[in-house]
Amino acid sequence: MDNRIAICDPDEDEVNNELFGDIEPVTWVNDDTNYDLDEINMAFHRVDSHQIIYEEKKKKCKLIGKYVMGDLLGEGSYGKVKEMLDSDTLCRRAVKILKKKKLRRIPNGEINVQREIQLLRTLKHKNVIDLVDVLYNDEKEKMYLVMEFCVGGLQDMLESMPHKKFPLWQGHGYFCQLIDGLEYLHSKGIVHKDIKPGNLLLTLDGTLKISDLGVAEALDMFAKDDTCTTGQGSPAFQPPEIANGCETFAGFKVDIWSSGVTLYNITTGEYPFEGDNIYKLYENIGKGEYTIPAEVEDPLKSLLQGMLQKDIDKRFTLQQIRQHPWTICRPPKTLEEVPIPPLRGDEWHTMTVLPYLMEHHYGVDNDPTYYTEHQLNEERKLQEMDRTSGEQKNACNSHYNKHITNHGKRRWRKPTSCISVKKFPSCKPS
Amino acid sequence: MYSRVAGEEGKSSIMYDSSPNSYHGMAHLGTCCSGTGTIHLALHKPTDTMVVVKKFYIDDRTPEDYNLVEREIIVTRQLQHPNVLPYLATFVSGHSVCVVSPPMGFGSCQDLIEEHFPVGLPEVAVAFILKDVLQGLEYIHKRGFVHRAIKASHILISSMGQACLSGMRYACEIVKNGRWQKNIYCFPSSTANNLKWLSPELLLQDLHGYNEKSDIYSLGITICELANGVAPFTGVPATLMLTEKVRGRAPHIIDCKLPKHAEHENTNDGDAGSSNSTLAAIGESILEHFSSRKFSESFHSITVQCLHRDPSNRPSTSQLSSHPFFKQCRKSDETVVDIFKSVPKIGRRDVDSAGDYGVAMSAEQLANLDLQSCHWDF
Repeated sequence: MDNRIAICDPDEDEVNNELFGDIEPVTWVNDDTNYDLDEINMAFHRVDSHQIIYEEKKKKCKLIGKYVMGDLLGEGSYGKVKEMLDSDTLCRRAVKILKKKKLRRIPNGEINVQREIQLLRTLKHKNVIDLVDVLYNDEKEKMYLVMEFCVGGLQDMLESMPHKKFPLWQGHGYFCQLIDGLEYLHSKGIVHKDIKPGNLLLTLDGTLKISDLGVAEALDMFAKDDTCTTGQGSPAFQPPEIANGCETFAGFKVDIWSSGVTLYNITTGEYPFEGDNIYKLYENIGKGEYTIPAEVEDPLKSLLQGMLQKDIDKRFTLQQIRQHPWTICRPPKTLEEVPIPPLRGDEWHTMTVLPYLMEHHYGVDNDPTYYTEHQLNEERKLQEMDRTSGEQKNACNSHYNKHITNHGKRRWRKPTSCISVKKFPSCKPS
Repeated sequence: MYSRVAGEEGKSSIMYDSSPNSYHGMAHLGTCCSGTGTIHLALHKPTDTMVVVKKFYIDDRTPEDYNLVEREIIVTRQLQHPNVLPYLATFVSGHSVCVVSPPMGFGSCQDLIEEHFPVGLPEVAVAFILKDVLQGLEYIHKRGFVHRAIKASHILISSMGQACLSGMRYACEIVKNGRWQKNIYCFPSSTANNLKWLSPELLLQDLHGYNEKSDIYSLGITICELANGVAPFTGVPATLMLTEKVRGRAPHIIDCKLPKHAEHENTNDGDAGSSNSTLAAIGESILEHFSSRKFSESFHSITVQCLHRDPSNRPSTSQLSSHPFFKQCRKSDETVVDIFKSVPKIGRRDVDSAGDYGVAMSAEQLANLDLQSCHWDF
């Protein structure tokens, strides 16, 4: 029994993992299936980590419609996002893979997805993510939302820097594009409700794309104003009226507030409102009292104050933001540009479909690669060490170190959408 | 809206107006832009000169097609060079957008190859054409554009043997926010027809980006297309074409130096040379012709230089213009017109013989008369 080879694929999600939750599925290579259970000693064996051998997953070319599947790009709130290549146009794409089974477990899951698809289909703007194609696999109960390819998001870029902020000129560029995209959405009667750096993605040429319209609301064509009743966005970016639990509120002004928090965040590296838990956070937002760091100078300071107005009527409109001196005047390019951080060590963000195509067309490298649990653990330790030493360095170098030391506060900066997927092992009676 | 003819044949003083009524004839010559537009030969009545009118029927097209047409007009109207096809006038007629350009007597290089030179153009003809194309391309690069669609069908030959570049609808600005970009990253949309000519770095769509050297690679592919009579990677799946280019397997011009074994290589053995991908689309008799001809050393070398995998190793347009390959242009007694003398030129008789088609076109125009035609001014 000890000489079994386990093939375990950290990426694979096909196998039924209903029972094990987030435990990786394991299949046994030389399993004879008809073991006599009585003969097997049911006690736990201690197995040395050197003796657990994994086989590296082969780059097997997989087609979904006309698209060739690539590697994982990230995890959205509903499921995985992978890279794809359109085999006709050779255009890189990203695909959001949604599983019906998972969706059913999320409150409003399926409805939210259908709504997002319907919304995205009607939208076409340079600064709003483009839904290219929707594919269904009824057998596997999967849905594929094929989108424009983005290399990274503002959140990842901020997190890759010690100060967690952009140089003013760079932040200004993103902010202007955010306002362009938002103006378009509002003109279409759509309230995004979840504007935050994590939902602002960048294409290869640096164009900002507002993404994740999962909780967006399309106003009724005949609605006389932008009154909304539900808010599902990320807590730290919510305006006082939502934090205070108002039953109805003006939708567009919610996006203005969130954009204000976003601007505050990307230019200062801090958040206007914090709290050890969501109640404290909402209490602080509800009061609407915040301070702007001393180093923020006037045109920007007055813009932030205008957008982060507790009083909805005093809060800036998009037109006021557009005409604001800080928006109009591009700050000089003084500091070095924050680059898009590498993906799994690849700073160029090379097409991940390429190895699959190579395998498909040339069938190279037929020998499977093996590695042991021990090697894997060593590598993990190394990575962990790298990360912690990096953080320590940051803490020493930066005077913003309260972000790193105070983990309680940090929790609320994570994208915590109320409808995010939680991988709890579901309990089944045996 | 009047405009001046750029360059050709002493017509520079003629002004073309944008009134649909000034143009007559409209013999159908073919379609363009993958079926979006139709090309007609027409007579400009006020000056009694021949012009070509491209008609784009806009209404039943997708917004992307429409944007391409709009873009092509905007970009082309900014350019003025004897080796770049000018748009002399643009106007709206009925449901169509029309652009007027000078007649290019011998048509596109792709038409020439298809109808008259199935085994490719003679070396000296390629040299003459390439010399003109390089002038035009150098100008386009200097004006801050990457063309992104250099191919035989976008090289037109006038009845005087002068080559002009067209197809500006795929071009991309190098200047962004007032800054000259070192690299550009955007992937051209609606480009499925141009994939075979695109450079590996452009196709890879990563943070390396690409620049005007990408056009030099396309030029290399075009040289192969002109010399071989068929574009490399014809009949090859797009994904295989991509991996071949990424692995640095450059196509080449085929002559007697072609290694014999290459013809019998197995396409699956991982060494599927791109010469094979060309050969796959070529018949036995043409192969025989290939093995009996010989191109000059400099012809081979200019092709190899253009198709270098690393863009920084590719020569620029001005460096290419002084390549020894073009020495033969000075020595040659023949001109392009001599070489193409057997090719029937598009001319006035096409208008006269338009016959029924011409009538049909006028009928269509009559039908559109009640619709208010507005001028497309920008």
